[in-house]
Amino acid sequence: MKVSVLQENLAHGLNVVSRAVSPRSTLPVLANVLIATDEGRLRLSATNLELGITCWIGAKIEEEGSTTVPARTFTDLVSTLPNDRVNMALNVRTQTLNVRCSTSNTDIKGIDAQEFPPMPIPDLANGISINVADLKEMIQQVVFAASTDEARPVLTGVQMMIHGNQVTLSAADGFRLSIRKAELSASLPRPVSAIIPARALSELARIAGDGDQTVTMALPPSRGQVIFRLKDAELDSQLIEGSFPDLEQVIPRNYRTRTVLSTPAFLKACKQAEIFAREGSHIARVNVTPGSDVQPGTVEISGQSEETGFNQTQVDASVEGDAVLIAFNVRFLREVLDIIKTPNVALETTADTSPGIIRPVGEDNFLHVIMPMHLGS
Amino acid sequence: MAIHMLPPEVASQIAAGEVIERPASVVKELIENALDAGAKAITVSVEAAGQQLVEIADDGSGIPADELALAVARHATSKLQSADDLFSITTLGFRGEALASIGSVASMTITSRPAAAAAGARLRVEGGILGRAEAAGAPVGTVVRVENLFYNVPARLKFLKAETTERRAIDTLVTRYALAYPHVRFTLRQDGRPALQTSGNGNRREVLAALYGVDVAQQMLEVIFVEEVASISGFISPTSLTRSHRREITLFVNGRPVQDSSLTAALVQGYHTLLMVGRYPVAILFIEMPPDAVDVNVHPTKAEVRFRSSDQMFSAVQRAVRRSLLAHTPVPEVGSIGQQMWAVDGGQLAVDGGRWTVDGGKLSVDGEQSPISPPSTLHALPSSPLAPPSSPFAPLLRLVGQLAATYLIAEGPDGLYLIDQHAAHERVLFEKLTGARRGAGENGLPAQSLLQPVTVELPPASARLLEEQLPILARLGFQVEPFGQATFLVRAVPQLLTGMDAAAALRVLVEDFEEDETPLQAEIEARLIARVCKRAAVKAGKTLSVEEQRALLTDLEACQSPRTCPHGRPTMIHLSVDLLERQFGRKGAR
Repeated sequence: MKVSVLQENLAHGLNVVSRAVSPRSTLPVLANVLIATDEGRLRLSATNLELGITCWIGAKIEEEGSTTVPARTFTDLVSTLPNDRVNMALNVRTQTLNVRCSTSNTDIKGIDAQEFPPMPIPDLANGISINVADLKEMIQQVVFAASTDEARPVLTGVQMMIHGNQVTLSAADGFRLSIRKAELSASLPRPVSAIIPARALSELARIAGDGDQTVTMALPPSRGQVIFRLKDAELDSQLIEGSFPDLEQVIPRNYRTRTVLSTPAFLKACKQAEIFAREGSHIARVNVTPGSDVQPGTVEISGQSEETGFNQTQVDASVEGDAVLIAFNVRFLREVLDIIKTPNVALETTADTSPGIIRPVGEDNFLHVIMPMHLGS
Repeated sequence: MAIHMLPPEVASQIAAGEVIERPASVVKELIENALDAGAKAITVSVEAAGQQLVEIADDGSGIPADELALAVARHATSKLQSADDLFSITTLGFRGEALASIGSVASMTITSRPAAAAAGARLRVEGGILGRAEAAGAPVGTVVRVENLFYNVPARLKFLKAETTERRAIDTLVTRYALAYPHVRFTLRQDGRPALQTSGNGNRREVLAALYGVDVAQQMLEVIFVEEVASISGFISPTSLTRSHRREITLFVNGRPVQDSSLTAALVQGYHTLLMVGRYPVAILFIEMPPDAVDVNVHPTKAEVRFRSSDQMFSAVQRAVRRSLLAHTPVPEVGSIGQQMWAVDGGQLAVDGGRWTVDGGKLSVDGEQSPISPPSTLHALPSSPLAPPSSPFAPLLRLVGQLAATYLIAEGPDGLYLIDQHAAHERVLFEKLTGARRGAGENGLPAQSLLQPVTVELPPASARLLEEQLPILARLGFQVEPFGQATFLVRAVPQLLTGMDAAAALRVLVEDFEEDETPLQAEIEARLIARVCKRAAVKAGKTLSVEEQRALLTDLEACQSPRTCPHGRPTMIHLSVDLLERQFGRKGAR
């Protein structure tokens, strides 16, 4: 193999694939990144067997070939190279990759590319096309609600359901539930249901650049895999086996109080309350008071800890229904408010023991359910 | 005082004391009688944990009317003819003492009808005094009703344990017989509530589920082992399922529950190196052997037996267990809750191959920042040569780094400190939670509701325990409701535990409940808190960021007793500068 690439492109490619490298695996080759010539471009791949990322970068190829080199060594080296042309040549017999860039000359010991696990080749003809910007937003609005506890693996994933042209992502960790719906440009002949690891989706959102217009998703039948194809990159992930709990039933059908307030003001109040609540119980008390003819309704958000102190912020709101005092985990509130883009947000509550619903005002494609907290018996 | 013969009632009460020591012994004797009578269905009804009433009805062979009075006499039995028969006993009873003993310490009514007789007969015995046998209508079989147990032995009454304990003892006993005799239909009612019901269809695993809950029953490995000395069958737990005590090891020899420390040791030996120190398996083994190879007449309640060749038995049990364990290849389950816990318990992550890989993969990024910074100069501070960690407070610590993703290394004023991150975090959480609990007063700790309530099924004994502790759990933030016989609905969990599986958190609380763990309320609460903390504390094998490490040290310094975890394990080990100097030969070396 003999190729030359721009340092900038190489560094970018390595950055994209780096998150799939598994430095502490029992399989040494998984700590390496695959470098291969591929139809006039240079292909970089890394995998930890659960998540794999491939990135293609432009290169001048003089001689075809492939090898793998330790990801960390190579990434550290490339990041310190000057912004110039990088020439790489492989000594096949010793599996040593020679890297030359301006005055720098390096030999890196690698492992034969034959040992690298083969990456799946997607059947993109039957893939599903989704607008990248939409998908990124969808992912951001649900992944944070996925569980990090391995005890219930299905909850560490995001459920993706497609019926016709309607796609739904949902994630839940046992205390909250995020559901985001969207429409596809084309209708699918048969419904799709898969549980994708939240981590894989976060990575996808990270590597999907602004230049990408659409992402193509392929779910090879009975392989338990999902593959996302971007313009210059590809991400594949194992699906999580199991059945996602049916959470439709926990969404309350009606409410007694609907409170509409400014999203940034609510978020800021929660951030302040969290400073105090995080030391103790993590509780944010939300006290909703309906307005009268002469003055608007208010929401008081407060956080408290025995050691640090007490904070309370009042936010004006339009309240429809009864007064209510309800407590939530302040982190849950902050995390959902963080991803709501509309200027106003609605909080729907029934009682201090029933779930609260948060919806962006003016958009009906997102819904978040948070279970309240109780202060003792 | 002059020597005199004891009156017969006194003598019989003393003798009875050996056989009947608690309500459960009555149940045991009567169940054994019923089994000996060839019963196919046995119904046990108990009220007030047996102190008010124990009634056992069977459909066995029955006692003819004219033998009733003899049946309740001491040393009267149909099961033994001569002393030689003692060495080939095939029945559970043989001494002819059970009914007489029960009759002398309670009011007992026997109603019985053999299949051949047209009508049954009834006989009442009150404190050892026989009433008159009278004709009575009855189904085929025998019903023994024992009321007001120990009413004439106040001393014994006084020494009975709490009702719940006695009730649990009866639960456990009946369930074990149900396991040993899967072809007999057992029904147990405690205070009118059904506590156990088996179908009598011969399926042991079904009974096992009633005893330990479905989850555990499914995990249990079957043992089938036939050799010349004995045939051994039953169930043993996989290595991932353990207890902190040996009480859940039950042995039956020829259908008789026995306690035998040597066989128990053999069983545990079978798990050699597969279990952590201080952990024991759950097991039920049925050992069948020729009646002449075992002497059962060595203990008043027949709880102990002697084997003719105990060495052979020892090795047979050990091999049976080992073979079955290896046959079911105990590969640790990745991510199984049990594994996580035990791994943490001993910090034996290396053994636990599966977990390690997973963790390793997940923590890739953190790991790259090489948690251990190069040691800066450890300047030798003046310290007395043999400085034990005398003060109960933690010294001021300067973080050096993390070791093996399990220990923190820190420098104190007098040398090096190694800190177990799990134990330390456990201590920090414990003090925080007890503090919060104290601050919250009667209101209790905040609870986080679950999106969907989680159902947890527990074995009957634990279920009853849990039911008693519900108010305490509520104050700790667990909102748990009974949901059927031994099932509970978890609606909310303490905020602290939101990162983990609710069902697992609850199970951990009741799993190791000690038999008589009902001292002071305050102490129960402290124990529960300790258990919750153990579960919630950061696990060994988790790479912590530098900030997390530093925060943990600061929190530990603020603790009141930072040197041990709530369970008494040390949180830190101290290597004094002096010791280091000696080890490096700088001082005192010759």
